[in-house]
Amino acid sequence: MMTYRKHYLLATIASATLLPFAAAAQTELTLWHMEQPPHRVERVQMLLDEFNASHPEIQVRQEPQNWGEVYAKAPAALAAGIGPDLLFAIPDFTPVLKDMGALSNISDFVAELDEAHDFIPSAVEAYSYDDGVWAVPLYNMSMNLWYRPSVLEAAGIAVPQTWDDWQAAAAALTGDGSYGMGLPANKQLYTDQTVYSVMVNGDAAEIYNADGTLRFDNPQTVEAYRFYNDMLQYSPPDAPSWTWGEAEACFASQACGMIMQFSVISTYETQAGGDADDLGVAPIPSQSGDEHNAIAYANAVMLLSRDEEKTEASKTFVRWLLQPENYGRFLNMEPGLFMPVTADGAEAESFWSDPIVEKYRSQIETVIDNSQNGMLFGFTSGRVFPAIGAISAQNVLAETLQTVAISGVDPAQAVADGQTRMQQLTE
Amino acid sequence: MKSPKNILPFAFIAPAILFLSALLIWPLVQAVILSLQDVRSVGTSGSWVGLANYRKLLTSPMFWDSAWLSLVWVLTNAVLQTLLALGAALALNQSFPGVRIARTWIVLTWIIPTVVVVMIWRWLFSTSGGIVIPVLMQTGVIDQPVGFFAQPNMAFATLVFINSWRWFPFITLMMLAGLTRIPRDLYEAARIDGAGAWKRFTRITWPLLAPTLGVLLVIGTLLSFNVFDIIWLLTAGGPAGGSRTLPVLIYETAFKSYRMSEAAAIAVMATLFLMAFAVIATRWLARPPEAR
Repeated sequence: MMTYRKHYLLATIASATLLPFAAAAQTELTLWHMEQPPHRVERVQMLLDEFNASHPEIQVRQEPQNWGEVYAKAPAALAAGIGPDLLFAIPDFTPVLKDMGALSNISDFVAELDEAHDFIPSAVEAYSYDDGVWAVPLYNMSMNLWYRPSVLEAAGIAVPQTWDDWQAAAAALTGDGSYGMGLPANKQLYTDQTVYSVMVNGDAAEIYNADGTLRFDNPQTVEAYRFYNDMLQYSPPDAPSWTWGEAEACFASQACGMIMQFSVISTYETQAGGDADDLGVAPIPSQSGDEHNAIAYANAVMLLSRDEEKTEASKTFVRWLLQPENYGRFLNMEPGLFMPVTADGAEAESFWSDPIVEKYRSQIETVIDNSQNGMLFGFTSGRVFPAIGAISAQNVLAETLQTVAISGVDPAQAVADGQTRMQQLTE
Repeated sequence: MKSPKNILPFAFIAPAILFLSALLIWPLVQAVILSLQDVRSVGTSGSWVGLANYRKLLTSPMFWDSAWLSLVWVLTNAVLQTLLALGAALALNQSFPGVRIARTWIVLTWIIPTVVVVMIWRWLFSTSGGIVIPVLMQTGVIDQPVGFFAQPNMAFATLVFINSWRWFPFITLMMLAGLTRIPRDLYEAARIDGAGAWKRFTRITWPLLAPTLGVLLVIGTLLSFNVFDIIWLLTAGGPAGGSRTLPVLIYETAFKSYRMSEAAAIAVMATLFLMAFAVIATRWLARPPEAR
């Protein structure tokens, strides 16, 4: 008995003495991402557990955030010295932190990864400006039109190609508690995305002139807002308070005939029966029907630590994540939503072998095709305007829509006011 | 020169004064200093601009719109919460089976975390699966679905209702405490004198409850004015700025527009409004009832 006690005591003392040294040798990293749904958090955790197990000298832990607050929370946390070491980003978020001096130029690291995995050039371009590269692209997203083929067939309508088709289809599908087109009008990022997806299909993709001056106030933008406002009559009355989740819920419950969304596959599979043959995805209709565009951009990860050891550990983690055998599983935290930004990722077995991806392969291939014509406000025509960060943070595109749809202001006036607001925000 | 005997009391209260200064006054001083600079993002530095932020503020329609909305917010919440709380307190002051359970559980809405309250009401008012719209349609109150957060006035009214639903139990408990202090024999004497229920309420309950209501007026106004979480989580100040009260404007200016100094100026102005109100209200409450 005494022997056991002695051993136990010795083991305890040894642990207490040695553990602090072991902990000191381990580099701890905090990852903030905005992929909050539980299944995404679970997938990220699974990958982190694998990474942590295979790299005992590094410990990465996740702290999920949300897009609504991270524009405010990240600068405050970094200023207080309690910010994350790795933070996911979209192109217009990066300039906010870069202006704070929180980012370092990682062009050498991105070049190294490009050499190994071959990035899609547009994914890197969105993070390349002011003589540097400020984040590592991780995954692409593009907006699509989702519908149920059976519902369209029953109404005797084809998949809309032009704005006129689209409006006629929405009208035909509206009535008796159903809404033809679920469109948000909230002052929130989702509305920015849907509004811009209409703008790019109405020849109003450019918010800036080549010299950096604003050109938001133009007839094409006005027409896009007018059309969006017309389409809102076929949307549920609570659409002005929608975010992504409400739109997906509306589609899953069949209350909405069509919605614009990056992907609905996950909710469709879990909440709407999951009949792959009755899930349609198409490019967003354009004004003329000739060429279809959509908002699309690469999400990325920013390396924020000033500590050399942590920066190196962060790079080790990103290198590991982009390995094809890990990368596909990372993208499939939300199958059909996150698309690869690397050539080897696009062919990775780990991406295409996911059961959900296999089941919805044709939809996912359409999504990838649609993303080829993707655009993002402030990052068009090969030019980057970092001032877009302030405009995006205040959701001015969505705010302008609210001026039209809720305050009843004429689209021409609202767009003019929107440009003034953009100017004020970027002064 | 003061004797040690005179200094001793100051020495005793010095720790409390220092603690309060650090906790309350220092942040306020920092806010005033920040409001006189042109700091953009949190954590960055700025230069002195004097009263420029205040001048900009006083000519900003958005500021005055928000100030007006804050005033309406406080008044509508005060009226609705007082009515709900008064009714509940009067009911709970009676003797009936289950009154103890009712008194305990009335605080339920108050103790639920705000985010849960928001999720519950968002779902209840939703057009996709919410229960409120079908009930209103079946009872003939409305003939087609409505968006409770879709129009500025409707969203504002809905927010007032939800906030009052959340906070009235707190006011109820305060009123109940006031009611239980009213001697029962006053009611018995009034009843013997032939006073009806209304007369007993207006001549006994209301006058003796007035001091409690006065205190609640001050506390409730300050609490209501500063409500941010419910508004932000449900409407984020929208739609079209229809629920952008001053706390929401402060947050938007600081963390969405990245203008920390302008936000600090709004915060200082709001603090001045509230301090002025608190001083006037407490002085009024301190006066004897007949002098009010």
